[in-house]
Amino acid sequence: MTGSRREGALGLALVLPPLLLLVFLIVLPAITAVLDTLAPPPGASGLTLARYAQVLSARIVRADIAFSVVVTLVSVAAVFCLSYPLALYLRFAEGRLPAVLAVLFTIPLFVPVVIASFAMITFLVNHGLISTVLYHLGIQRFPPLVYNATGIVLTEVWASIPFAVLILGAGLQAIDDALIDSARDVGAGRLRTFVSILLPLNATPTMIALTLLFISIFGSFTIPYLVGGNAPQMLGVTMTNYLTQYFRRAEAVTMAVIAFAISAAVGAVYVVSVSRRERGTV
Amino acid sequence: MSVGWYWAVGGLRRAVALGAFLALAAFILGPLLTLLLWAFAGSWLFPNLLPEFSLKWWAYVLGNADVTKAIRMSFLSAPAATLLSAVICIPAAYAFARLEFPGRRVLLLSFLSANAFPKIGLYVSIATLLYRLNLMDTFAGVVLIQVINTLLFMIWIPTGTFRGINRNLEEAARDVGAGPLRTFFQVTLPIALPGLLVALLFAFLAAFDEAQGTLIVGTPNHITMPVMMYTLVLSYPQPVGAVFSVLLSLPSLVFLLVAQRYLRAGYLAAGYSL
Repeated sequence: MTGSRREGALGLALVLPPLLLLVFLIVLPAITAVLDTLAPPPGASGLTLARYAQVLSARIVRADIAFSVVVTLVSVAAVFCLSYPLALYLRFAEGRLPAVLAVLFTIPLFVPVVIASFAMITFLVNHGLISTVLYHLGIQRFPPLVYNATGIVLTEVWASIPFAVLILGAGLQAIDDALIDSARDVGAGRLRTFVSILLPLNATPTMIALTLLFISIFGSFTIPYLVGGNAPQMLGVTMTNYLTQYFRRAEAVTMAVIAFAISAAVGAVYVVSVSRRERGTV
Repeated sequence: MSVGWYWAVGGLRRAVALGAFLALAAFILGPLLTLLLWAFAGSWLFPNLLPEFSLKWWAYVLGNADVTKAIRMSFLSAPAATLLSAVICIPAAYAFARLEFPGRRVLLLSFLSANAFPKIGLYVSIATLLYRLNLMDTFAGVVLIQVINTLLFMIWIPTGTFRGINRNLEEAARDVGAGPLRTFFQVTLPIALPGLLVALLFAFLAAFDEAQGTLIVGTPNHITMPVMMYTLVLSYPQPVGAVFSVLLSLPSLVFLLVAQRYLRAGYLAAGYSL
């Protein structure tokens, strides 16, 4: 009895330092930011949504929100479609090719995003390596690949593949070989095994991967800032411009809260699936 | 130990796998290769497949006082942030993995919030706080901003690592009379070391990579390499950015080589899967 109470006290004491940092550097600033956006004009009292109405009344901001959501969804879908087969391949294939691939796909994890963006520009830009190679193949006319949504999606996909493959792969790894073998024993084909064994058993890691991908891509700044075009732009760039170029702090923070609300709605899915799993393992 | 049948090795299947492999390799390595070529290019005119090689931009970049100052700032602040983060987070991770205390699950999840709120919205408020504490444009302020980015890695990966260690080993040590501290340092820590190294590595890269917050908190006297990179990408000739990128990737490259063994052992996956 006293033992478990002592354990509880020790646990809380050990957790306290990073928790204080989290509270002072993230939770409190976030709450302050939200309260600032709800504060009434000087002299009045109560809370007001006027700033949100004002920010959302700007057509450019609405266009940027829509653009951010679409670019994020397309990127997440593309990452998913590339990563799932790759994770399956790494889980089941044997030989030298998968061993090389296991190293290859982690490379973007080690490249700072600033560099990844710059590398993508040199690769995709008009007169860059891609267009040089295409020129030598006799292709001279193709749509621009960078400084637009295409560039953002390609770079986000490039940067996110390792993360997605690692999470999906860890989930597939946890599925018992015996289960997969017995599926075959009762006559299930590859597709059937995938649809009725692998996909459902890997559902939680898949949800985790999808939501975390959404949150990180939706909130990204560096990639759209360097690889994207002028307008429409992603919300991360718009709010930074409002803050550092136009010195309109209130609007910038309001946009941050709107972006957070969208991420939080998606993140709720994540929290539900993780806590369900946490309960399962404890 | 074979479920290899699931990805059977028919001739067509192998050809498809090889084709997909080459496409993926081109997609992942292509941009990095282009960058590397640019770093050693004197000039590169379209439509030549290769540039004229030259080292003149290296002399230009390394001879620039602002650049060397940024390099020094990066290599001082990122290790400082990583160490600070390790000292406060690893004991906490051990508690999350091994001790029962009220609110454990909620608190562990709360570290996710470090990555959920758009950073720029946070930095505005944090800047106000640091301004009041006289930490704007100081080394300590830059380190604090970088620590924020390391928290999630430093809590979650070590928690997963500690949780993966068989409790019986620790109990056996306790049974033969080792105290809790001795058990931790002589039994738990050596087994956990590879996982902790992976966490340190990711924390270091996250700190080293931080640009948006450092730009706000460190300007004008505490500029790190990634902050400088924004200026270089946007307003200098292409080879300058490329040379600087190669310099900036060196620590990551070293880590990639060092970490390869552990990555394959799946520690990273263990951390990500919570």
